[in-house]
Amino acid sequence: MLQNRSSYPPQQSAVAPSLASSSEKSIPTSLTPSALRTSVTTPRKVTIYDRNLNRRAPELSLAAFAFLFNEIVQYSQKNVKGIQEMETKLSENGYHVGQRVLELTVIREIKSAKRETRVLGLLQFINTSIWKSVFGKPADALEKSKDQEDEYMIIDNDPIVNKYISVPKEMSQLNCAAFQAGIVEAVMDGCQFPARVTAHSVPTDLFPLKTVFLVKLDPVVVERERYMR
Amino acid sequence: MVVYSLYILNKAAGLIYQRDFNEGLKRLSSNDYLVLSGTFHAVYAIASQISPVPSSSGIEVLETETFRLQCFQTLTGTKFLLISEPRQQNTDAVLRRIYELYADYVIKNPFYQIEMPVRCELFDRHLATYIRGIP
Amino acid sequence: MARTPRQVGEEVWKTRVEKVNAELVTLTYGSVVAQLCKDFGNDYIQVNEQLDKMGYNIGIRLIEDFLARTNTSRCRTFKDTAEIISKVGFKIFLNITPTVGNWSQDNKQFSLIFDENPLADFVELPDDGKAVNELWYSNILCGVLRGALEMVQTQVEAQFINDVLRGHETTEMRVTLIRILEDEMPVGDD
Repeated sequence: MLQNRSSYPPQQSAVAPSLASSSEKSIPTSLTPSALRTSVTTPRKVTIYDRNLNRRAPELSLAAFAFLFNEIVQYSQKNVKGIQEMETKLSENGYHVGQRVLELTVIREIKSAKRETRVLGLLQFINTSIWKSVFGKPADALEKSKDQEDEYMIIDNDPIVNKYISVPKEMSQLNCAAFQAGIVEAVMDGCQFPARVTAHSVPTDLFPLKTVFLVKLDPVVVERERYMR
Repeated sequence: MVVYSLYILNKAAGLIYQRDFNEGLKRLSSNDYLVLSGTFHAVYAIASQISPVPSSSGIEVLETETFRLQCFQTLTGTKFLLISEPRQQNTDAVLRRIYELYADYVIKNPFYQIEMPVRCELFDRHLATYIRGIP
Repeated sequence: MARTPRQVGEEVWKTRVEKVNAELVTLTYGSVVAQLCKDFGNDYIQVNEQLDKMGYNIGIRLIEDFLARTNTSRCRTFKDTAEIISKVGFKIFLNITPTVGNWSQDNKQFSLIFDENPLADFVELPDDGKAVNELWYSNILCGVLRGALEMVQTQVEAQFINDVLRGHETTEMRVTLIRILEDEMPVGDD
């Protein structure tokens, strides 16, 4: 149990929202990561770990997100050789977010204690719950590739991160929703369904920003699926 | 409503956007568009200076028998010029809405560098939809 | 009757602002700071600078969105500016209204005191004994203010002087008016 808890090292989560249970304070000092020692010596101080995670934060403006995301896009454009490398950087930022989104979601749904064991179940969870809580609406479709056993597609007609972005013609290969793909990849990995997730533009007249998130499962997952079938 | 065209001028009077939406005006050469912007900018400035009332605005409306030009200058110094039919009402409100579209689809586009010419597909698209929908 | 900045902020927030899940913003900002810490090898002084630069970039753009949504007219005094920043600016973007206070005698310096700060929700600084003395986690906000105000010809300096993440009682940003850029005032601005 103690060992379990110390695998929640605050120093690892560093500068991002960290999560842990409130009972950490009772861990003997000798076994406690040093960051927590403060809360042992000053027991009345309320740490971030004592705060209720179910208190949903109020909404913020989409503009605030858009401006922040703009900076991520511009920063990712620096010192990269090509579009692919830029998308990788965007995806890494998304991954960081996705890891925490998953952890938050799992802690919040701890009572239901349900674990997805099949690919389809997990993808449906992402397609509906995760999408809705993070992007405010469920994704528009979930499809299985007809030819590739290891490929699924999550379709979003209007990804929120691309809402205001017009990609210049010379960069037409770029889809900034690579950030969103990174979020999905982190959730897949975190649920023990390792996969590679990439974002691809498939504009239509009605939905110029339509994006397909291609989920390519790791061979391990495909094998496990076969076995469980 | 017939809106003929929209011009956007940056702080330095450079023309950063020009679109025609409806037939009705003679087309100008691209050089003439630049001249028109520069000249308007200068006249706008002079008009505000010759006004006997201190800190007057520049020219907000310019009316002719064949068209009406409405100007809206933001606090940051960007100018939006809308050329429409002479009897067109509420052009001021139309420009304010266009300013919002500009704030969304130009300013929030990470590939747009401020003060530079506007090439944003989504802005063109949303602007065209909006102009078409004006009663 | 003219409406107060608070009323304007509330109304714009309720009726004219598209919303997004706050956690998405908080976590995304976290990913930016974490990335910078990594890229600059935990040189927090450089991270602060980079955050301020990013903020400045945001500010010079965000001002257009602010003006387009709020129809704000030019502030007559720096006191008005402070009120608008808190009650309208912070309100419509981050849904908070930091308290304006600690005015200097010449009315050229004030503080924004943050009771809440969505950027830093559930954040803990790195436990390296350094960040707590060097990193201003929310420094991007200083740049935003500097950039946005510069675009309306108001030159300011902004910096955090306290942050609850560092163990201080409050989170406080100090804003100083350097000068009004009269020369850059658009001609015919009424």
